[in-house]
Amino acid sequence: MQLDEFIEGFEEDEAAQRRRLAAEKSYAITDHLEDVEQQFEAAVQGDSLFGSTAPEIFVGRSGYPNVSTGLLSPVDTDAAAAGFATSGDWYQEGLGIEDVLQRRTGMVNSTQTTSVDSVSAGGGRGGGGVHDVWNGFVGVQREVAIADHPVDVEVGLDGTPEMDVSFDDVGTPTGPRAHATDADLAENPHVPRPVEKTLSDDDWRAEGAMAYLYRRGFDVYDINTILSAGALGQASERSLVPTRWSITAVDDTVGQYVRGTLRNADTIDKPELWYNEYMGNRYWVVLAPGRWEFELVEMKAPQSVWNPRPETGYYMSSAHEGYEGRTAYVEETAGAYYAARLGILEHLQERDKQAKCLVLREITDDYWAPVGVWQVREGVRNAFDGEPGTAQSFRETLTAIADQLPVTLGQLRRKSELVAGLQSQLSDF
Amino acid sequence: MFNAIVSADTLQATLDSVSVLVDECKIHLEEDGLEIRAVDPANVGMVDLRLDAAAFESYETDGGLIGVNLSRLEDIAGMADAGQLVHLDLDEETRKLHISIDGLEYTLALIDPDSIRQEPDLPDLDLSANIVIEGKDIDRSVTAADMVSDHIALGVDATEELFYVDAEGDTDDVHLELTRDDLIDLTPGDAHSLFSLDYLKNMNKAIPKDAEVEMELGEEFPVKMHFSFAEGQGRVTYMLAPRIQSE
Repeated sequence: MQLDEFIEGFEEDEAAQRRRLAAEKSYAITDHLEDVEQQFEAAVQGDSLFGSTAPEIFVGRSGYPNVSTGLLSPVDTDAAAAGFATSGDWYQEGLGIEDVLQRRTGMVNSTQTTSVDSVSAGGGRGGGGVHDVWNGFVGVQREVAIADHPVDVEVGLDGTPEMDVSFDDVGTPTGPRAHATDADLAENPHVPRPVEKTLSDDDWRAEGAMAYLYRRGFDVYDINTILSAGALGQASERSLVPTRWSITAVDDTVGQYVRGTLRNADTIDKPELWYNEYMGNRYWVVLAPGRWEFELVEMKAPQSVWNPRPETGYYMSSAHEGYEGRTAYVEETAGAYYAARLGILEHLQERDKQAKCLVLREITDDYWAPVGVWQVREGVRNAFDGEPGTAQSFRETLTAIADQLPVTLGQLRRKSELVAGLQSQLSDF
Repeated sequence: MFNAIVSADTLQATLDSVSVLVDECKIHLEEDGLEIRAVDPANVGMVDLRLDAAAFESYETDGGLIGVNLSRLEDIAGMADAGQLVHLDLDEETRKLHISIDGLEYTLALIDPDSIRQEPDLPDLDLSANIVIEGKDIDRSVTAADMVSDHIALGVDATEELFYVDAEGDTDDVHLELTRDDLIDLTPGDAHSLFSLDYLKNMNKAIPKDAEVEMELGEEFPVKMHFSFAEGQGRVTYMLAPRIQSE
């Protein structure tokens, strides 16, 4: 069996297990799903025509390149739809795991199965001279993705939704899902000018267009949705991008852009320790003087989500990059790596400094359901409030936090490049 | 003016030794041979290479400096079979290098040397231990360490008079000890430094397995590795900055 198939199978089993765990852990969520079902019945008018306001879209990855693609919209039509879309505001509002699950399960995912290439009329990659598709279900979905506010839509549904929650380690959970027969816009959505610009320029490479939107003040959440809908990049490359991949691609691309701006920046003068705790995740961020180097080390508690071997205690994983970045996708820590890296790079960019950065993430038993990597991104972004702890050396900082960590420094040294040693430069000698 | 004929093997070995660290480099054309010195963008690994005029079938120059894209030049050199001759001729007017291999003509656009990263100074280091080791033993150490870790410790125990290699991974360890008898030569002095395997693996690729490599080591200091190629008419020094464990 191919390794990737093997891993895919493993992930699915795990997802099923997590769903059971989530159901056990929170009866509130299952109760909530029943309420949603009732609200849904009330919201549907006539023959399953569902009028709602869609703040977000979802593109699945199973069956790629034929994927399930959907509009997410709150079942409670009186609710403010914007609050249902994943964003950094959730952190500022202090949302807990249960709040996130309630919001997400309160949205119905109206889906159709389509080829990822369906965004261009020529039927796909390398078609040459093809035009973007803006009609039909996919067209409506793309309008929602590029609009700067939730869009009123009417969706024709085939049958009633399946009341369920889907979890992913990268994407935000999604709730009930129903098959859509068609969709129509009930308003003319407003598209911000920079988005129009990236949309209309189909010679512009996706990486450059993403960096442009970021510079123009769009957060990665917005860029992710636009990329996912295939609404930027070179014409021959435009396609629907599964939400999970798109999140990581945007964190990585924007991170590389920010890292590039810091290549020649001065380094910080002394080691710093920053800390944050969010949704049962604890983050120790250690910055040390020197050229850019980054590592994420995750320590997963036995009963936390995604610990594949609870019987052996804390499960550790890590990924690292040097001054020039990585050439290979991270094998361990997946999307969390890029999300944490972006949080740190944004902080360094504000100070116009570079540093060697170690993020230690402890996932405690309180993290009982995965809410997506946005939680990591915001947890790290918001670790830099107030004043840092400072010490004379990187090692002294590590010794200082050793007692709080769930693993020994010896275990950490074996797992972490930075704890084993910080890369020096020839000019240091 | 630069006009030279060199065997494909010698040219390839020269280029490989440098391209493991950088994509572009400056080549100094001296009357008695070529010189290349380059450091990687992170300022962690460095190469200092010299190829004597005697390594060429014919070699004529009145001095000069050219900038080349190494992967292009490697691709062209790779078109030649082992033992075939490669003719290099610099056109000063157009700043192009004409390369011919058995009737195949290739004109390579050169890079402005000023646009290439500045050449580093060779740090003057006082390293306590000196080891002369076979290339194949470096290969063995690096390959085994890479199975368990991303870094490798190189050291000398002065009391026991031995050179050792250590790699610690998540769960597995690699350890190798070579005594004075296993080595070609050893000048003991206590030394221990940790290095990134990414760099060492690349350098190892360019070290001939049958080469005698002189290695200089210190306590948390860069390692220097010197070896010859092209029957002693080419010489390479690699220098690699350590990962610091004590700070």
